Amino acid sequence: MNFNLSRLFNIITFEIVRLFKTKRGLLALLAFSAIWFIILYYFVGSASSIVTSHSFESMAKQLFGALGLSALLAWPVAEYTIYWLVAIYFFPSFALLVCSDQFCSDKHRGTLRFITLRTTRAELIIGRFFGQLLIMSILILLTAAATTLLASLRDITLLSESVVLGIKLSIQLIIVVLPFIALMTLLNTLVSSARLAIVFATLFFALGPLLIVLIEYQFGQTFYLNLIFPGGQISHVLAQSSDFANQYILPLVQTVVLLISSHLIMKRASL
Amino acid sequence: MSLIIDVQQVTKKYGNNTALNNVEFSLESGAPVALVGPNGAGKTTLFSLLCGYIQPTSGNINILGHSPGNSALFGRLSALPQDAQLDPRFSIAMQLNFYARLQGMSSKQAKIDTLRVLDMVGLQDATKSLPAELSHGMRKRATIAQALLGSPEIVMLDEATAGLDPANAKEIRAIVAEHADNVNFILSSHDLNELERLCDRVLYLESGHLKQHQTQDNNVNTRYITLRVKQAYQDLIPKLSIIPSVEKIEMTQDKEYLLTINSALSANNVEIDLLKILIKNNWLYSHIINGKTLENQLF
Repeated sequence: MNFNLSRLFNIITFEIVRLFKTKRGLLALLAFSAIWFIILYYFVGSASSIVTSHSFESMAKQLFGALGLSALLAWPVAEYTIYWLVAIYFFPSFALLVCSDQFCSDKHRGTLRFITLRTTRAELIIGRFFGQLLIMSILILLTAAATTLLASLRDITLLSESVVLGIKLSIQLIIVVLPFIALMTLLNTLVSSARLAIVFATLFFALGPLLIVLIEYQFGQTFYLNLIFPGGQISHVLAQSSDFANQYILPLVQTVVLLISSHLIMKRASL
Repeated sequence: MSLIIDVQQVTKKYGNNTALNNVEFSLESGAPVALVGPNGAGKTTLFSLLCGYIQPTSGNINILGHSPGNSALFGRLSALPQDAQLDPRFSIAMQLNFYARLQGMSSKQAKIDTLRVLDMVGLQDATKSLPAELSHGMRKRATIAQALLGSPEIVMLDEATAGLDPANAKEIRAIVAEHADNVNFILSSHDLNELERLCDRVLYLESGHLKQHQTQDNNVNTRYITLRVKQAYQDLIPKLSIIPSVEKIEMTQDKEYLLTINSALSANNVEIDLLKILIKNNWLYSHIINGKTLENQLF
């Protein structure tokens, strides 16, 4: 595989154009903004009073302790505790929706025939993946910036700690969403519409674990098949209790495997 | 003349159906080449193989020294694939601009080239239009424009003028004729008159087999004239048979005759003799064609 960086750059930047200059992209952005306005205004904005209030403090400690989330209460910026609880589950789900049409509709319409006369299939897959990753990263950073802003408005002395925590959590979120975007890349090689890609992703997460239980029950041993599911480490990442391998290496390996599989399928696909 | 396309024993199967069977030909740079054949003959399959959209079941294809889909062909080979559509969410200019940048042009060059090709196909006023806002013919012209971006060495047009009105079809033919000296066009169409005007080499596909691969040039002594007359004239064949160099006359279809000329039989100019007889008998002709029509050559 040889990659031309100029072509890759053009494909990645065109993905940004797709988000901001198409009706579908703008609607997704509008929905995203509306949801995050509610989350930030009603939950994150009032986080400090909830988490630090005397009446809630003991209950929060018990609740977070029971869930293994005690480390979150130790964070100096309470807003990020609530932000983290929401974002860690929101962004992977949102990635499945936003990244559902990486090239399946182009393939169905025949537009890929124009594109593949000018770029390799591998560049297309990697370019579209990184384009979607760039979009998700921008959205994650925007929400982290908004949370930092809310915390700083409450107490300006929290600014530097908010920025540091925001960057750290944003990086962790970006790593968490990586395999979800790559999963949609893989599904895009197999289906002909974004809707079908979402349906297949839903079935994958809903029926996949059941299938694994059946397989393991049938053969009476563990095959570690659950490692193929993106997000298996999320509960540990949420609690900030996972080790380095679980937190970073597993999603990175999943992403690489999914992208290589996408490339192998796409390489032989008829356009 | 250099070899631009070399197809060696290519077979393409879809399940049990054989779309192309042991197809073998090579093309050198030069005049446009016509790809002809009935529906389902394998024309689009052959185009798709040459563009690298699909892989052959067996055989080898070499285009400008590279296999189809190779990055070395980007910008050198372009195509109008049948039924491929532009993205309905972006303006024509934005998409062509993107394609031009993928071909390696700078942002400024891409803008200039986009306007150039849209002007060539008469869409200079529709640059900001979405594909859905254009008529079928205009959308087709926009897809032809993308095939002309940059300076491709090979342009493959699959049914380029299908669905276009006569004026626009003529415009597209003019573009092909105008650029035929610098660009190697491969055209597929059901309009044999169109191919006849533009091409002097023909690939004829039928049921996945390449039936003919020929030039339309006739051999040294024997040549043909196709005569089309306005009405059916009863004694036309006997009277034209008097011309010394006319070896044979056959009626190919209603009001159309194919004259086989053997120039070794007479030094006279057969066309002048023919016109004299037509005038003398007050017979009105509509066409006198030097050679066989493509239709008569193939069917």
